[in-house]
Amino acid sequence: MRNKILTVDDSKTVRIIVRKAFKSYDCEILEASNGVEGLAVAAKEMPDLILLDITMPVMDGVEMLTRLKSDPQLKNIPIMMLTAEGGKDNVLKIAKIGIRDYIVKPFKEELLIEKAGRIIELKPLSDGPTKVRSIFDAATLLVVEDKPAIVQQIQAGLKHTPWAVHGVSTQGEAMDFWTKTPPDLIMISLTLPEDAAFTLFRLIRSNVKTKYTPVFGLVVKTEAGPLQQAQTVGFTTVITKPIDVSELESKIAKAMNLDTSQRYFKLESDILVMRLPENCTPAVLAEISNYMKPKLAEAVDAGNNKAVIDVHPLKSVHMGVIKILMLAMQTCRELGVQFSLVGNTQLIAECKGFEDTRNWVFHDTLENAKASLGGPKAPAEPAAAAPAMASA
Amino acid sequence: MPATQEISETLIRSNISRAVCDVFKTMLSRNAEPAVTVGDGAMASWPPIPVDGDAVPQVVGTVGFIGDVNGLIYLYLPLPFAELVTSHLLGMTVQELEEAGDEVVNDAIGEITNMTVGSFKNGLCDAGFPCKLTIPSILRGSNFSIEPISSVNRFIYSFESSGHKVVADILLKAGD
Repeated sequence: MRNKILTVDDSKTVRIIVRKAFKSYDCEILEASNGVEGLAVAAKEMPDLILLDITMPVMDGVEMLTRLKSDPQLKNIPIMMLTAEGGKDNVLKIAKIGIRDYIVKPFKEELLIEKAGRIIELKPLSDGPTKVRSIFDAATLLVVEDKPAIVQQIQAGLKHTPWAVHGVSTQGEAMDFWTKTPPDLIMISLTLPEDAAFTLFRLIRSNVKTKYTPVFGLVVKTEAGPLQQAQTVGFTTVITKPIDVSELESKIAKAMNLDTSQRYFKLESDILVMRLPENCTPAVLAEISNYMKPKLAEAVDAGNNKAVIDVHPLKSVHMGVIKILMLAMQTCRELGVQFSLVGNTQLIAECKGFEDTRNWVFHDTLENAKASLGGPKAPAEPAAAAPAMASA
Repeated sequence: MPATQEISETLIRSNISRAVCDVFKTMLSRNAEPAVTVGDGAMASWPPIPVDGDAVPQVVGTVGFIGDVNGLIYLYLPLPFAELVTSHLLGMTVQELEEAGDEVVNDAIGEITNMTVGSFKNGLCDAGFPCKLTIPSILRGSNFSIEPISSVNRFIYSFESSGHKVVADILLKAGD
């Protein structure tokens, strides 16, 4: 449920500034221009936080605060004073009545957000509620690592992606970076001097801008202590060195909740092509499995009821691959999708060796497979190609 | 109750300079520099604004303070500058501001004055002169002067911000 913040100030200007400050966060701003209105809105809406001015007509902030604290229904609502009244004696007197924080005007919007974020959960709004980020969208990754070779390895390994990988070596540099450019994901070496990784993690989680940013730990597998500590404090995941870059890429995509379906599913003309990559790790198979039904259903919904299952790039067949192919064919049958298979010579030979797969019929090229479904004819029908197995 | 005379001109000058500079820097992202004064510091800017037919229209925010020391401060901003700082403060374009009308500029300058006077009087409170703020009001025009009655001590300070003259006119009730 969205947090509600009530701003009580006789100045419309301040209420606009408050609204502006919170506009990038998932919260509802309620307004009142004096203490009487403020009490009425508080009783009706039960806000999660009240920002309260002092000098107001009709009923001032001190009286409203006193009344809130004497009302059993409202006394637990956190109050933060936001006022030009900042004399030490007055602040102390008000603090005794019971407030969570005190901001003296003039104030920076960032300070307001930071202090409010310590009292209530402030979730940044995404660019658009329905927009799903894809594997082809740009992203900023920050690597905090004092060993330049590791940063270079990550940069080189992710070079083919649209992600910008920035390396810094100290806690200070990291904080400078994310103040200017909030990253989409942060990787931290767990063996930075003086437990800096864990200090940084706490700072990341206490900052509203980075509170929900995925944080990966980087550590050698044998460093059991830091590895366990990272898991305990809540790092998103821990990547062990030496780094398997394809595994890292897959974990980054998952942590950033990216739509990776376009890697495996692509609509070509009116035919949905499902392509298995060269190396089908369990993580890859799980991803494909998750996308399978929604992508096929989406194609059917759009009027495209033909599919080619392309396993041509695969280097070897194993049980996981067989299962995913069976699932694909089963799903096609369930949805009434016509399909055909594309394989390579080695794969076709291997399939002949299994009871479940020996009757599968493969085309040797994508064009032939498409042509078998009534797509554009291939320039020349290779003699070795077997007839396609169509489904109903 | 301590006498207003106990408050030195140095304290008033340092408080108002700090207040104006802080508010402009924090809320408006602009520097405000105390203007160089010639002769008798506090009153060198007399009169606060030129009074004649060709004068630039002014938006003047007023906020008072009451307690162990009583007084009020007028903050003068030329109208074009008042509009500029309002659009910055509220994140509005000049066109949006024109459509919104004078009320928005009045409210914004009232709030800027409230923050400035608040900061000024917090300095007085911490120096042993507790007092509270009053609510702001706005005066607009191009051909007027504000005259205090005789039992008031007056201090006028000018500031320069983005090529505009901002004036703080401080009136303190004498002999409380």
